[in-house]
Amino acid sequence: MSASPHPRPPVERCAGVRRGRTRGIGWAALCILLAAALPGGAQPAPEGLTIVSRDGRRSLPTVEVGGRTMVALTELMEPFGLRLGDDRAPGRLTLLRGTSVMVLTADDGIVSAAGRLESLSTPPVQRGGVWYVPIDFIGRALPLISDRPVELRSRSGLVIVGDVRVPQVVARYRRTGPRSRLSLMVTPSVEPRVERAAARLFVTFEADAVDLVLRDFAPDDLLRRVLVDDRRARLEMELGGAFGSYAASSSPAIGGSLDVVIDLRPAAEARAAPPPEPEPDPGPAGGTEGGAEAEAGLPDLADLALPSTVRAVAIDAGHGGADVGTRGPEGTLEKDVTLSVARRLQAAIQRRLGLRVVLTRSADTNVTLDERAAIANNNRADLFISLHANASMRETAAGAEVFHLRPSEYDHDPGDAPAGGARIPVVGGGTRVLDIVRWERAQLRFVDRSAVWAQTLAEELRARLPMSPRGVQRAPLRVLVGANMPAALVEMGFISNPDQEAQLASPAFQNAVVDAVLASIVRFRDLAEQGFPEDDPLAEDPPPDDAAEIREPIP
Amino acid sequence: MSRPTWLARVVFAAAALGGAWVMFVGLPRWYPDEDPVVPAGGAADRSTAGAQTVSTLFYVSDDGMRLVGVPRRLARRSNPTAQARVILEQQLSAPPPPLTSPIPPGTALRAVYLTADGDAYVDLTEEIALGHAGGSREELFTVYAIVNALTMNLAAVDAVQILVDGVEVDTLVGHVDLQRPLRQNLDLLEAPGTDWTPADDAPADPDRSS
Repeated sequence: MSASPHPRPPVERCAGVRRGRTRGIGWAALCILLAAALPGGAQPAPEGLTIVSRDGRRSLPTVEVGGRTMVALTELMEPFGLRLGDDRAPGRLTLLRGTSVMVLTADDGIVSAAGRLESLSTPPVQRGGVWYVPIDFIGRALPLISDRPVELRSRSGLVIVGDVRVPQVVARYRRTGPRSRLSLMVTPSVEPRVERAAARLFVTFEADAVDLVLRDFAPDDLLRRVLVDDRRARLEMELGGAFGSYAASSSPAIGGSLDVVIDLRPAAEARAAPPPEPEPDPGPAGGTEGGAEAEAGLPDLADLALPSTVRAVAIDAGHGGADVGTRGPEGTLEKDVTLSVARRLQAAIQRRLGLRVVLTRSADTNVTLDERAAIANNNRADLFISLHANASMRETAAGAEVFHLRPSEYDHDPGDAPAGGARIPVVGGGTRVLDIVRWERAQLRFVDRSAVWAQTLAEELRARLPMSPRGVQRAPLRVLVGANMPAALVEMGFISNPDQEAQLASPAFQNAVVDAVLASIVRFRDLAEQGFPEDDPLAEDPPPDDAAEIREPIP
Repeated sequence: MSRPTWLARVVFAAAALGGAWVMFVGLPRWYPDEDPVVPAGGAADRSTAGAQTVSTLFYVSDDGMRLVGVPRRLARRSNPTAQARVILEQQLSAPPPPLTSPIPPGTALRAVYLTADGDAYVDLTEEIALGHAGGSREELFTVYAIVNALTMNLAAVDAVQILVDGVEVDTLVGHVDLQRPLRQNLDLLEAPGTDWTPADDAPADPDRSS
């Protein structure tokens, strides 16, 4: 708990009131009004606090005094071993714990404890002989005189005393299409055990209690409720009627936290693809990820057949013209590298594969991102690849990375169902049916294939070039949004890295990129001609090639 | 000392004391220089004067390959918009070494708006784009440091759209789509390698097992 570096002088007593909208003498009037309002008496607050210690749990009632949540000091005496001191001046109270002394003054927000001053959010008040302190008194002042650590978790209303393990679990529940996901951030990292028993899923932690913060929870037919079972340090998830199976995985996260992801799937889907066997110990089972997002909200475009081969490839040389992209330490420009590779790739595809190539730019010109996708769409390309060079403020960062669109940002627009086909007249008479798809949703029907395309590219690049540890990623990249075909963006290397800058400018490296892309096109075309696994209506899960989406726990 | 002289001295001393009080206590109290923001809805930060909160802010890891969340102690505001401002100002300012900020230096917050349906609009000065080194990796870090800082620390924020100099932009430097509010992305926080599963015949990453 932090001590305020500069104890606030008593004149700050009405700081909170003053700080708002009042100025000049208005503050004085408000102070008086507030003071007048205070003796309104103490009313029980809706929720109390809970003290968690080695001795178990006990409740700590809170009361509303003058609109503030406070605790009667008498409630704190016994749990924290406090005694009243002999110094009983009016409006002043001395508390003792061992040899430590704390002095409270009524209506003064400064507490003196063990020789230190600590400010409180609101001053202690005395009503009818009973002293009330704000709840932050527990987290700020009590630790100064306590022999055991005292921590106030105000969001969950827990007061943690002494050496008890109470991980904080911040839970978020998100529904995407038929599936849903409960994400838990556990701090400090404690590996949970996930078990199913009838219509409940238990997440048990090796701890004394769990401090659950549940955000944005809206119950649905997969998950009805999330409760904390205080006696066993576990979460109890009440499953809904549609629930079929789950998959849990965990990975270390920021600041010593552990990210636990529990994916819930409906029963109908579980029948089509048996769920992975839940194997919670030693680590939670690996789960599939991304499939849920990929399928969510996809327009029903079954009537618009996906192309079954690759006849034309769109190559997008990143940046250009005034937009030089990123720049290497020796001055190599991203726009020059991308155009050079694009031209080599164009020649190789035409000569070696005999496919049509669409370049979004063939010179040092500036083309907007949406125009680039439009050029690919209008030229009926079957595959889209955007070439880029990466940058990092860390000079050592190196390796190629492949991105495909992160669909979750685009799949929830209300009322934008696809318009379907429109019959329009064409030159020379007759009509033709045009697919009309909203720009922002153009890429959505290809998310699965784009994932395969990106994965294929990453595998072929990895066989020839240094790869970044982040091989394949999903991101909301604008150039991919409007592409009406499988699309991926390749960051060939980090131009910010001096070694990689030299590589990126070299013909040998550029030819290696070209070879990798050629091999990827061949593999992807073979897949398209043989039929993608997800073309099978029963196969709900992402194809096995979509390995980028499979996360495994790190023990 | 004659009585009038004595009285004059007392009056003078009282006036001097009163003047000093006005100068050093009254005026600062009436015209506080801190926190001039008047929280929307009139909910003054009564209960949180001087209070602090711990928020997770986002910086670039040592290897430049991921964002790391770092808990920082910030002033607490009872109003979400005011709290968003506190969080963003800290996120935009230079972090203590050895942390590196993914946000170009000089970037300042022009305004932040929160809507009732959970979207936050963060209006930044043009330095965010002009000072940017480029590259998808770095641009993702820049954008999601801001998006995650708000979505992770404020329950009222589900998604964040970044504006530059008051206007909507396609991207900062040519990659990340800023045409719509973006939701939290914790993928960038994961240790590299967790999103890459090698094929059966590929060499296993040394930092992975299971």
